Amino acid sequence: MPRSEMTAGSGQSRPFAARLKSEWLQGDRSRLARLVILALILAAAAMFAASIMTGAADASLGNVLRWLFGVEGAQQALSVRDRIIILDIRLPRAVMGLLVGASLAVSGAIMQGLFRNPLADPALVGISSGASLGAVLTIVLGSSLFGALFAVFGFYTLPVAAFLGCLVTTLLLYRIATRSGQTSVATMLLAGIALAALANAVTGVLIFVADDKQLRDLTFWGLGSLAGANWTKILSAAPIILVSLAVVPLLAQGLNALTLGEAAAFHMGIPVQRLKNIAIVSVAALTGASVAVSGGIGFVGIVVPHVLRLIIGPDHRYLLPASALLGGTLLIFADMVARTIVPPAELPIGIITAFVGAPFFLWILLRGRSHMGL
Amino acid sequence: MIKASNLSVRLAGKQVLHGVDIEAAAGQLTAIVGPNGSGKTTSLKAIAGELPYDGTISINGHDIATLKPWQLAVKRAVLPQSTVISFPFTVREIVRMGLSVGARAGADEADRIAREALEAVDLSGFAGRFYRELSGGEQQRVQLARALCQIWDPLQDGEPAFLLLDEPVSSLDIRHQLTIMRLARNFCARGGGVVAVMHDLNLTAMFADRMIMMKSGRVRAAGHPNEVMTDGVMEAVFGCAMRVNATPAGSVPFVLPHTAAG
Repeated sequence: MPRSEMTAGSGQSRPFAARLKSEWLQGDRSRLARLVILALILAAAAMFAASIMTGAADASLGNVLRWLFGVEGAQQALSVRDRIIILDIRLPRAVMGLLVGASLAVSGAIMQGLFRNPLADPALVGISSGASLGAVLTIVLGSSLFGALFAVFGFYTLPVAAFLGCLVTTLLLYRIATRSGQTSVATMLLAGIALAALANAVTGVLIFVADDKQLRDLTFWGLGSLAGANWTKILSAAPIILVSLAVVPLLAQGLNALTLGEAAAFHMGIPVQRLKNIAIVSVAALTGASVAVSGGIGFVGIVVPHVLRLIIGPDHRYLLPASALLGGTLLIFADMVARTIVPPAELPIGIITAFVGAPFFLWILLRGRSHMGL
Repeated sequence: MIKASNLSVRLAGKQVLHGVDIEAAAGQLTAIVGPNGSGKTTSLKAIAGELPYDGTISINGHDIATLKPWQLAVKRAVLPQSTVISFPFTVREIVRMGLSVGARAGADEADRIAREALEAVDLSGFAGRFYRELSGGEQQRVQLARALCQIWDPLQDGEPAFLLLDEPVSSLDIRHQLTIMRLARNFCARGGGVVAVMHDLNLTAMFADRMIMMKSGRVRAAGHPNEVMTDGVMEAVFGCAMRVNATPAGSVPFVLPHTAAG
């Protein structure tokens, strides 16, 4: 269908809606999915703009845009203070929210496809804890133990270490929870608890030996937050996140086939082992980079893909990009709530996502008990 | 032609197949039968390429060990015993997955094939239903439609393609058992080949061109159902003395459990 019909006025919209409905009744949700993705792009842009304008300092959208695009006369519309607030505080925060939210939601969607169950989430099954451990290790033992690592990776050291911690945890979890191609949901969740406990215990020891300055850096990982967003952090994490997000669409068909089981995916021509390797490395890279810059923010990876599956279905060709968009949008929104709900203080964003996400998780659990083997 | 020679498989340290030879020609429905645990499904899985094995397996002369998964996918499609999924895919989406690999078709062509595949398994009108909400037998037929889509043309690049079916009629009612067996025969008539693991001896005798009788990981008898289904083979394989009869008209062998001694 040509684009013009999609945006046509009320005269044309009824047949389009009817067509959409008839396709839906025929089990074809691809057009609906593309439409939702289009809407999510607009929503993400709107939320991004709203986030830049929200806060104690006043800045209208028109003025901000005019200034950003260098329109003449706009220099006077914003005060120097407002410009600094927007450029160095709000903009990096919104960018980081978008990147981290997209990463977490896509990680969740990939993990759920890989483990073939909707309860897998980086934060729930210990993978974020593994990433935190990697990050904390570099902070506390950084100068002594990881001198070489710092020398090689420079300011990428933290994301790289978080990625490695994440990778080890994901591989361990997959080994434990999956036997001859079958994943046990119960084993996965329980093994995740054990791995998280272990990673947190080691992190605890490191906190115990940390000095005061390190301690301040460390408390940050306990509660996820975008408060520390700055351009340096974004530059350290963005390349990893963007490269991973670019790779992810290649996994879509494979993850779809994997839904029918590893053997069936192989029958359909998918190189299963390669698919799993790429999926695990992508999850580790996305989660690792996110945790390195924003700490552990839970439940985004579980809520976002689940809501989207209810609307556009589980086809990963649409689910993965839609998850990235909705994840980014929701995290920016959660961050806006976090910094405005108890002014002038700020709530850690992890608290907000947990407040929404934990009941949601329980709801999925209760609703899906029968066909998840629990 | 599928040819497995001197096939041996170990599962969890236990030898499950001992030097099995299986041949399945294009244009023929080859049925693998035998008691529970005789190695029927293991043989089929080895031929599908999903198990490590000793011996050689070839499809149309290509050693399957040298083929990539996507090359195998255009030479054979597989119907597993049962498939449980944990995401809310519609029937149409599952069937279309069969078209996402192998010979790729255009969107309209893919739509037509998916619709005809559903018709072939008597599930017209089920496209919009959720897979998880179907009965076991309906789910099995959806999977068959999906496998059919993968090798919709029984001749792929001039070579016959093979349908590997693991108990395709085990959870079906009698009408659909016939539908599916006829579909398999039709696939053979159009130039493809079918290898099916079967439990129902009488249905097998009705439809199979060739019957491979297995016991304890070995082939005990192979040939036309008339040659394989004899009183002697029945007792030797199933350990149960039964009288094999033949239908008056077509001399198709059948066996009634009523005739079992004891």
